[in-house]
Amino acid sequence: MSSRLALRDVKILDFMWVMAGPASTRMLADFGATIVRVESPTRVDTARTLQPYHNNQIGPDSSGLFGNCNADKFGITLDLGNPRSHDVVFDLVRWADVVTESFSPKAMRAWGLDYENLRRIKPDIIMLSTCLMGQSGPLSRFAGFGNLAAAISGFYNLTGWEDRPPSGPFGAYTDYVAPRFTAIAILAALEYRRKTGKGQYIDQSQGETALHFLTPAILDYTANGRVDSRVGNRDARFAPHGIYPGRAADSWVAIVCRSDDEFRSLCEAMNRRDLAADNRFAAMAARVDNAGTLDEIVSSWSRQHLAQQIETTLQARSIPAHVVENSREYLHDPQVQHRGHFVELPHPTLGKTVVEGPRAKLSRTPGEVRRAAPTLGQDNHYVFESILGYDEGRITDLAAAGVFG
Amino acid sequence: MLSAYRVLDLTDERGLLCGQILGDLSADVIKIEPPGGSPARDIPPFFRDTPDRERSLFWWSYNRNKRAITLDVEKADGREILLRLVRSAHFLIESEIPGQMASFGLGYEALRAINPGLIYVSITAFGQDGPKALYADADLIVMAAGGPLILTGDEDRPPVRVSVAQGYLHASADAAVGAMVANHERAVSGLGQHVDISAQQSLAMATQSSILAAAVGADQIERMAGGVRVGLLRLPLVWPAKDGWVSCTFLFGSALGVFTRKLMHYICEHGYCDEATRDKDWLAYTELLLTGREPIAEYERVIGIVSKFTAAHTKGELLRLAIDKGFLIAPITTMSEVIDSEQLRAREYFQELPHPELGRAIRYPGPFVKFSESPIKYRRRPPSVGEHNREIYCDELGMSESTVAELSKRGII
Repeated sequence: MSSRLALRDVKILDFMWVMAGPASTRMLADFGATIVRVESPTRVDTARTLQPYHNNQIGPDSSGLFGNCNADKFGITLDLGNPRSHDVVFDLVRWADVVTESFSPKAMRAWGLDYENLRRIKPDIIMLSTCLMGQSGPLSRFAGFGNLAAAISGFYNLTGWEDRPPSGPFGAYTDYVAPRFTAIAILAALEYRRKTGKGQYIDQSQGETALHFLTPAILDYTANGRVDSRVGNRDARFAPHGIYPGRAADSWVAIVCRSDDEFRSLCEAMNRRDLAADNRFAAMAARVDNAGTLDEIVSSWSRQHLAQQIETTLQARSIPAHVVENSREYLHDPQVQHRGHFVELPHPTLGKTVVEGPRAKLSRTPGEVRRAAPTLGQDNHYVFESILGYDEGRITDLAAAGVFG
Repeated sequence: MLSAYRVLDLTDERGLLCGQILGDLSADVIKIEPPGGSPARDIPPFFRDTPDRERSLFWWSYNRNKRAITLDVEKADGREILLRLVRSAHFLIESEIPGQMASFGLGYEALRAINPGLIYVSITAFGQDGPKALYADADLIVMAAGGPLILTGDEDRPPVRVSVAQGYLHASADAAVGAMVANHERAVSGLGQHVDISAQQSLAMATQSSILAAAVGADQIERMAGGVRVGLLRLPLVWPAKDGWVSCTFLFGSALGVFTRKLMHYICEHGYCDEATRDKDWLAYTELLLTGREPIAEYERVIGIVSKFTAAHTKGELLRLAIDKGFLIAPITTMSEVIDSEQLRAREYFQELPHPELGRAIRYPGPFVKFSESPIKYRRRPPSVGEHNREIYCDELGMSESTVAELSKRGII
């Protein structure tokens, strides 16, 4: 491990699974935190079963999502239902600074692995629980995935067209928002412990966290009493503001004019100087009022050109425009390539794999991806021998007792 | 938690959330706005729909727990004052076009020379370098460039965004992660560094890793009204209810198929389908469909049955069933249903912040997590333009009132 990594002294015992939890510790792993990730030997991590699959082949290691969320972590298997596994857990708790879990509330308590018990073993332990709705309240038992938290937190109703049922944001939306705050909470608790010597318990409701991304709509209700709904791609301030078709099938380009100058420049690019003089479009407020008509005009122009060509032409005029990229276009985007976003790694069963690199670029202690996500139980030996210092006899005993599954 | 630290927040609407996160964690965040106030104060909606720089609900959304001063950092005198603040600061956050801060003499290198411990956070559309670094941007542009947009919306219409702008919030949250990572390291080295965030890269997070599809040789996922399409498979996530819609995870495989099997048993018990339909191999169902052993038309028939079941129940009934039986179903709620929900009330989620200038309090979304030992406190409502000029310039920097008045006359403060 590089001695320059920013979090090289941080040790996390990670019971989290599926997406939201593992995505958060992945961020910390990139910066050198040692993450020992516990998987059930019997109940497969749902993330291992989710798209995209390497070469469209379904298999225990073939989920690109699992690989993306778990690179740079050590993977061990423990059967938490087997009481003999608990001594191993307690040893790992003694080793760790932070324990994280994302089961539905009460699971850890049922195993006797809740915060009150773990702090008896290590008084300054930091423990974080993250789940859909939080550890308390009438819906705390409501378990599931981020699409459900996004639906019940208002994201679905706010995504789509006015004249249609909600489209919903893509997939498990709260799982994209929550992990940032999970990582921040862990680092803040470590800072607090460094200053005070105290550990603590952190209760994260992914739904509550994600509401911070809807605050303007929340305040529109709490301050104005208005219930916002979906408005397609329209914007209260800008027009044109939309997604327009390119010449090729299902190709699209986003175009926004933030000022009258940008609109005049767009009119020149479209060879439609008449529009800039048209009362319906000359000023921003009028354009916003006539956004639907304007969208049709821009679309009829954009359909004659390649989306990429529109991006280039308009950006040359400093008009905000960009192709709506799919994963292939993103992979080949010169900017994405310049930033080194994708990282290729050797993989024990797949041969090679690709994951996303660290999102924050730190100038002096940059993050780095060093290893692909573990196969099931890949690091049992390393963790029990080198981290916990168990001898071969003890490991054999534990294995015989079914602790590792 | 961060009360020992001072943050200088020079961001516009692209980066305001980052400073607020640090402020929630108790840092002393000073929002530095150009004289007259930040352009982000012009973003709707407005309190009582009255456009006013003190009434932007967007501004209120992302400036809690900050103090605010006005300063024209583009002028030499303004720059000098900023440099004085930089000497005692621990973080600086900015969201200018790359190179802009350096052109004011406020780039990372210049500020590091004054304060080597400074963590300097830059939030931009495409990052500090690369062929698109200077691209013109907007929230919709980074949504398009970052991957989530193409996956969202109805297949017969253009891709569609979340109606509340999301793009820069993802970038700002990543910026706060980067700032906290750098802060952890600074405790050891005593040194700061430059944290460079690209919204395009941050947004790939909102694709559920399907941004990797091309790189790992998988099919592209495509958008579909109320769900997604993978090849010929239509996977609905929005389902009808008697009084609206619900989201239901009706998927297959060794993990999710277990839930589907459970749901199909219930549906069968209540007479919506026969036993043969109930007893399909839900764990292997994806493979059966992909290999053609199960016709797509049969899958569509099953979807129809499940829709009939959801449509016969209210959102509340379906949520009750989800909790009691462990089904993966949630109501699609309006903002008022979210805010008035029993769950959030029971957890005392919403926080009232007094706005004395309005003679009332406003309810804000509560702490992003609950810390047992060092709970997040909402100490300050979002500041008005230049609200803390006197406090910071006179009381803390020791400038005389006449100096401040003179700088104000010259348009620097």
